[in-house]
Amino acid sequence: MSPIQDLVVLACTQAVPDPAALSQALKQFGLRGRIIQEPCSSKVEAFQLLRILATGADLVWVVGCPEQYCQLVEGSTRMGFRVAYAQSYLTELGLEPERLGLSRVAAGEPEGLAAAAGEMHQRAQTLSPNPARPQSKA
Amino acid sequence: MIVGTRKSLEELQGMVSGYKKILLSGCDTCVAECASGGRREVSELAAALQLAFQLAGKEVVLKESTVDRQCIHEFLLDVIDLAQDYDAVLSLACGAGVQALATKLEKTPVFPALNTLFIGETAERGLWLENCRGCGDCQLGYTGGICPISRCAKRLLNGPCGGTSNGLCEINLAKDYDPPVPCAWDQICARLQNLGVLDRLFNVKPSMDWSKGEAGGPRRVVRPDQKL
Repeated sequence: MSPIQDLVVLACTQAVPDPAALSQALKQFGLRGRIIQEPCSSKVEAFQLLRILATGADLVWVVGCPEQYCQLVEGSTRMGFRVAYAQSYLTELGLEPERLGLSRVAAGEPEGLAAAAGEMHQRAQTLSPNPARPQSKA
Repeated sequence: MIVGTRKSLEELQGMVSGYKKILLSGCDTCVAECASGGRREVSELAAALQLAFQLAGKEVVLKESTVDRQCIHEFLLDVIDLAQDYDAVLSLACGAGVQALATKLEKTPVFPALNTLFIGETAERGLWLENCRGCGDCQLGYTGGICPISRCAKRLLNGPCGGTSNGLCEINLAKDYDPPVPCAWDQICARLQNLGVLDRLFNVKPSMDWSKGEAGGPRRVVRPDQKL
């Protein structure tokens, strides 16, 4: 299976206050990804996840806070529902729902970031490049 | 509000597969409230269709547009202009909105992205329940604000049937409803009792005029005072 190239991470600024730390954690696994900061993981909408995949990303990951620590109370919980909802679109399309994933990290904890990077690496191993990427990116 | 749900992606792809430039037109009133046809859902569907077409190796241009209310002709002027550059329109409005747009676009096919289901309310987040059938002869004043036509599975007007059990309708035996369907007449009786007017049910009312509802053909309301 050829390795995936394009990882996009949408990261809550509370969970990942320093994107460079997440980049470093990903690098330990040989992964490079574009990290987009969000004021809360609940800012991530289902259509954004699908749109990012439609622009050619192979794997899209959301990093939020543990549910009980979300500063916006329900934000991280809502993020979970939205990722699942966007995954249902992928299933309907015949694409792998595993192209979307999430992790919850407590306030930039290094162990949490490393674990999240590990989860992304593990998921990336199971995927091939996005078959639905636009022809211009093929 | 009118409640609808999105058609399957397979059906939608089948409808628009022959077109290269498709305009998605949403409505930010009823169908936005039930999370099926508003601005967000237009973006979701556009991205999903983009993925679907790219998977199939097809190049299709998709444009998103949403108006406040798609059933009002004056609100459609911008969409009509936009639609001139597209081969087809996929409307995420209810049936009324789809038709309002189709009336204005005689040379552009307009397809419905939703199945329009019922008039209802947001009972709680993520749950919409039917509570009006547009019967044209509203009995809510008599039944304490609970509609026996939309909320009784048999549309009974004379009280509960023999199937009511523990406040639930016997329709729950046929299908697993979550939450279970309450017996509308059980609710009506409880409400009238709370209002102190339960004995109202002993009064014989004239039969309902069903010709004001679905039986009377396409309905209309005319208000000369509203015309210019």
